[in-house]
Amino acid sequence: MKHEKMLMLFVLMGLFILAFIVLTLANMIITQITLDFSGLIDTARDSTIWRSIWLTLYTAFLATVIAFIFGVPLAYVLARKDFFGKGLIEGIVDVPVVVPHTVAGIALLTVFGTHGLIGAPLASYVKFVDALPGIVVAMLFVSTPFLINSAREGFQSVDPRLENVARTLGASRWRAFYKITFPLAFRHVLVGAVMSFARAVSEFGAVVVIAYYPMITPTLIYERYISYGLSASRPVAVLLILVCLTIFITLRTIAGVRRHDRD
Amino acid sequence: MIEIKELNRNWREFSLTNINLDIKEGEYFVVLGPTGAGKTLLLELIAGFHHPDRGEIWIDDENVTSLPPEERGIGFVYQDYSLFPHLTVGENIEFGLRLKEISESDMRRRTKEIGDLLNISHLFHRSPRTLSGGEQQKVALARAIVIEPSVLLLDEPLSALDARTRDVLREELRKIHREAEITTVHVTHDQTEAMFLADRIGVLMGGEIAQVGTPGEIFNAPINERVAEFVGVENIIEGVIESNEDGVTVISINGHRIEAVSTYSVGDRVRVCLRPEDVTLAFSRERSSARNSFKGTITQVVPLGALTRVRVDCGFPLMALVTKRSVEDLGLMEGDEVIASFKAIAVHLIR
Amino acid sequence: MKRTMMFIAMIVLASVIALGCVGEKPKTELKVLHAGSLAIPFQKVEKQFESEHPNVDVRRESFGSVDAVRKVTDQHKEADVIAVADYSLIPDMMIPEYADWYVRFAKNQMVIAYTERSKYADQITKDNWYDVLRRADVKFGFSNPNDDPCGYRSQMVCQLAEFHYNDDKIYDDLIEKNTNIKMRTENGIYVVEMPESESIQPTDKVMIRSMEVELCSALESGEIDFFFIYRSVAEQHDYKFVELPPQIDLSSVEYEETYKKVKVERASGKIATGKPIVYGVTIPKNAPNEGLAVEFVKLLVSESGQKIMRECGQPPIVPPVVNDMSKMPEELRSLVIS
Repeated sequence: MKHEKMLMLFVLMGLFILAFIVLTLANMIITQITLDFSGLIDTARDSTIWRSIWLTLYTAFLATVIAFIFGVPLAYVLARKDFFGKGLIEGIVDVPVVVPHTVAGIALLTVFGTHGLIGAPLASYVKFVDALPGIVVAMLFVSTPFLINSAREGFQSVDPRLENVARTLGASRWRAFYKITFPLAFRHVLVGAVMSFARAVSEFGAVVVIAYYPMITPTLIYERYISYGLSASRPVAVLLILVCLTIFITLRTIAGVRRHDRD
Repeated sequence: MIEIKELNRNWREFSLTNINLDIKEGEYFVVLGPTGAGKTLLLELIAGFHHPDRGEIWIDDENVTSLPPEERGIGFVYQDYSLFPHLTVGENIEFGLRLKEISESDMRRRTKEIGDLLNISHLFHRSPRTLSGGEQQKVALARAIVIEPSVLLLDEPLSALDARTRDVLREELRKIHREAEITTVHVTHDQTEAMFLADRIGVLMGGEIAQVGTPGEIFNAPINERVAEFVGVENIIEGVIESNEDGVTVISINGHRIEAVSTYSVGDRVRVCLRPEDVTLAFSRERSSARNSFKGTITQVVPLGALTRVRVDCGFPLMALVTKRSVEDLGLMEGDEVIASFKAIAVHLIR
Repeated sequence: MKRTMMFIAMIVLASVIALGCVGEKPKTELKVLHAGSLAIPFQKVEKQFESEHPNVDVRRESFGSVDAVRKVTDQHKEADVIAVADYSLIPDMMIPEYADWYVRFAKNQMVIAYTERSKYADQITKDNWYDVLRRADVKFGFSNPNDDPCGYRSQMVCQLAEFHYNDDKIYDDLIEKNTNIKMRTENGIYVVEMPESESIQPTDKVMIRSMEVELCSALESGEIDFFFIYRSVAEQHDYKFVELPPQIDLSSVEYEETYKKVKVERASGKIATGKPIVYGVTIPKNAPNEGLAVEFVKLLVSESGQKIMRECGQPPIVPPVVNDMSKMPEELRSLVIS
């Protein structure tokens, strides 16, 4: 009975924070639909907006893939090995979350610009400023920590003895990783990737400094807002929210199914 | 079979110093030691999960010190079973076979054989999480031996189980070892387990091998005080069954006869185990129900706080544990002649 | 369990106490929204104002001028004072619904900023800058004319340059060839037509950013060699700059008639006409602390306010000019002319 009371309290407290999120989003969406449905329809018919949404999803996806390729190995090392300076590295991984996004953008511009540390030697092969790669590096910078931290937690939750046993059974390190450790940490990695993708989609401050063009949706929303005000920017924002909501619910469902079909 | 030469390793709070062991083909070798002695580390070094700071490990006349675990031909079982939770029981057992180049039918046959041997075939489709501890450990064991390793390494395989399951599984381990004749290294802190299973025991204390010997040697003649304290002062006397009538067994030990209750048959070589607290000492034969009564000479009196350990030579060594009060009341001294008695029912026989 | 509950209770208690501390001295907040280019002088005005009114906490927020106005008109944000880099935004967007009057209190000037590392830094002058910008290896920037008055003023400078230097290809070469921005002529008036922001599509030679300040990092990292900017920003950042002739730099009331020949039609349809760069300030109708806001404006247009503006490279208009004396708070009337 005591437990029931606690559960009731927790549900109530949970509802409070949920209401906070839902209210903010729903207010925006419902206002749009009830007060200016035709505006939403017009926006949904505007190919410029779809192009920018597609660009945003595509660049965020690329950023997530890169974060995955390089972040998952790092997460594994951080989860498995103790070494001098590990705390420092874990701290460094977290920094992009703390850095104000405009500052991140300026730092990225300095490094990836035509005269930057990385930008200069690559100048004849790839252009970052006001180009798609610039969007990707900005998104990558702000979103990687989410993937790394979640994947690290995932790997930490897998008992290294499972890997040991797999190896005595004849599995190489690689095989033990992708047959045992990775599948067991998969949910964490997936959640990390989703968070990372979400963060990338929503990034504005850092992207706008290094790549104002081609225009991603957050920049477009901002531009609409500056030029025409709230009534022009809101339908774009609502559209982006709806698209992202669909993607996230789908991904979460997939992750959920994968977990349950094993039980 | 397994030779460990001058092995040294420091890892976190554990360290192993100058470990030398020579484990013979087909032997059941138990590494016995208290918690924190470095037993698991030793096992993981043999398996190749750790690399020694110094020293060599040879398996089957091959120096495997720098070989990765997957090339050492070992089976490994952890205390907590370590079954792959995302795979079914069947998939767990097949895991190692799938990595070998064998046909599907061969694989099925071997999986089935091992399943039948351990009586777990009916569990193959289940998820490991739904099994009892004993079942899980059987699966872990099956998974390790189905690949026919040349060495089986067991890390406290029975410690996480309840008493009854432990007895059953202990029996299984012995059965498997007899049938498969796999050289086995079994790590434990439990003396009974060691006594029951071991051909030989290596006592590991503070990162060093303190003593290696048969269970009789270890428990009867601990090499030093530390080993003695750890293994407990247990009377283990080797003998042969002379007669057995309705369970009342007579064991012959150097011409002395001990009565016990057992199901062993005449001619069986056994070990007589007797807890020292069951032995009483007196200066004259008293009327009592104790069936076993031997005259002997006190060779040693060691005070241990409230209790005192008295060693008596009755033609075979016998250890008694008596209260300090009794020692004082009786005035027991080294060289005194005493009568040592114990009940037949206090004796237990193994092997 | 008890300890955990105690711990939670302590945290809650601490938060409440902390909250109490924050609100302990109930200082009146004076909210000032202003154009980014006014950040530095207003910081100094704020300091002086707070020393004169110790019970007041001035909260300044920098935005693009249009953005600052929109905070009030669209988001209905409360503000006590609004100061913009283009005074005409106030009559265009705020009067009569959100404000009744405004004061023109300071001026600025368009320049071309650069650094020592910029290409041809040692060659550029007020007579050849358009030729330097034309060179293929030179990159330059301006802020988005749709978003930022500094951006559409850059357009005006380039067009006015055609008249002044008698070279009718300057605008074509610098802007039209490098962006989707077009120019049309109407009865002797030159109108820059802005496409939607997402369709401006600048080439590699030109960098566009929403706000002038975002171009600073591009200049400092060498991404661009030059950009069009207010003199005040260039001075505050210690950039080198080309001072342009008064006929084209939008600083001089003397050339008001010349400036009028150039207009920029933004994507939203709003048209900006060339005129001297004049900062405007007003007190919105929804100001929560009108009395203090009047005090703030009074300081801004007073002699000490003028001194601050002058030091920051934004010369004050002396005396300040109001659009409609009758609608202005009485306390301010003696300080301005209409």
